Amino acid sequence: MSKWQQQIRTWISRYFDLPSDVMLDLPRITTIGSIHVYIENHTGLLHFSDEEVRIQYKKGQVRILGKDLGVKMMLKEELLLEGELKSVEFLPDSKGG
Amino acid sequence: MKNQHDFFQGIMTVQVEGPLIEPFLQACTKRGCQITNMRRLDDSLVILTIRLKDWKILRQLRKKYRCKISIKGGKGLPFLVQHMIGRLSVLLAFIAAVVIIFVLANTLWSIKVDGLSPELEADVESKLNSYGVSPGKLTIGMKDPIEIQQQLLEDIPDLLWIGVKKQGTSYQLYGVEKTRYDTEMDTRPSNLVAAKKGMIIETFIKKGRPMVSVYDVVQKGQILATGQLVEDEDLFIHSEGEVIAETWYRVAQNLPMKQVLSLTDGSVESEYQLKFGKFAIPVWGFWRGEEGDFREESHTSDWRIFGFQIPVNLKTVDYYSIDRKSYESSRKNLEKIGISSARSNLHQELEPDAEIKDEKVLHLSEENGKVKLILLYKVYENIAVTKYVSQGD
Repeated sequence: MSKWQQQIRTWISRYFDLPSDVMLDLPRITTIGSIHVYIENHTGLLHFSDEEVRIQYKKGQVRILGKDLGVKMMLKEELLLEGELKSVEFLPDSKGG
Repeated sequence: MKNQHDFFQGIMTVQVEGPLIEPFLQACTKRGCQITNMRRLDDSLVILTIRLKDWKILRQLRKKYRCKISIKGGKGLPFLVQHMIGRLSVLLAFIAAVVIIFVLANTLWSIKVDGLSPELEADVESKLNSYGVSPGKLTIGMKDPIEIQQQLLEDIPDLLWIGVKKQGTSYQLYGVEKTRYDTEMDTRPSNLVAAKKGMIIETFIKKGRPMVSVYDVVQKGQILATGQLVEDEDLFIHSEGEVIAETWYRVAQNLPMKQVLSLTDGSVESEYQLKFGKFAIPVWGFWRGEEGDFREESHTSDWRIFGFQIPVNLKTVDYYSIDRKSYESSRKNLEKIGISSARSNLHQELEPDAEIKDEKVLHLSEENGKVKLILLYKVYENIAVTKYVSQGD
């Protein structure tokens, strides 16, 4: 059922040329060089420290590694990080699904 | 995210401590919090900045997530205001200063009246006073200058025009006095009669028929000129004119030979008392004894604040030490004094255009240490007065 729904969504976003983050409930991550990360459409902040920030989204987690990380601004579905960015990793929920 | 909006709403720095910081923050943002400048200090310690209005949400949720939150500081207008209120004295001083400046700026400090004679000026000032316009009063609630102008013109008939201008904290009035002409001619039929007994020296009858001639002696009330131009006719006019007559005055003077004068020798001692209503407290100089002769002069200060008399007064009593000296005058000297004083007394009694022609000492005697002096004066003055004749009956 959900798989079918997923396929329909993908198809609609392709067909109507809609931004995929809106249709698919995926986070949109914008980085400015390696100093700022702007994350929209996330569902939760899981962990945050100077070196690592983990964010929950619909189908998994995003892990951002860096140095001297700090949250410049945090709203309901938006997050602006600043610091020295090293990597952005996606950890999809393979078990949950 | 530093902008005006944040300044007016106020932002605060908060420290959050606890094992469930991230879920707590997540819950807060779900409820509408705006978290900025978040820094992790420790595993279970985070410092962040929130808007003042989000503080309630944080407090509601902290129990659920077992977090300790504490305020580290605040910025913005609400905190400034709170700070000011905290310093109540500063705030009060500020308010007092504003009020005082306001009151002083709205107080009438002076009234200047130009272009009027002193009598009319005093009249205008007393009228202004009765309207409640006087120095030291608040201009708030006072009448408009235009209204004052109209009222002054109504109340003082001698004013032809008056300009009232408010200049800052003073009123400037410029008035023009009415020049009074007796425009209405007196046309009522009248006679001229003698005001007192005398011998006519000169007559000048402008209107009417003269009834007396020069060197006639007239009695008081005698007709000098009549308005009836032709005898036994009904035509009566208003008669006018001047009749200069020689009149006589008898002046008696009683002068003591010996006079005692109290003279102050210039030395003065003062005593000061502070008065609260009827109760007086001596402040300074109360030890001044009552030694010898002295004249006492006391005056009480009239202290006012904004037109209200305050119940505290300073009473000053000055003691002038005096010297009593008796003078004995000679008879000759007294005669001179008597004559000059009689003359000046008579001058005050007579009309300004009257002329003292002659003076004569009728009697000069000395009895019981007093000089009795009787003088006779010969005066040339106008004795004609208008007497209206009632007609028709």
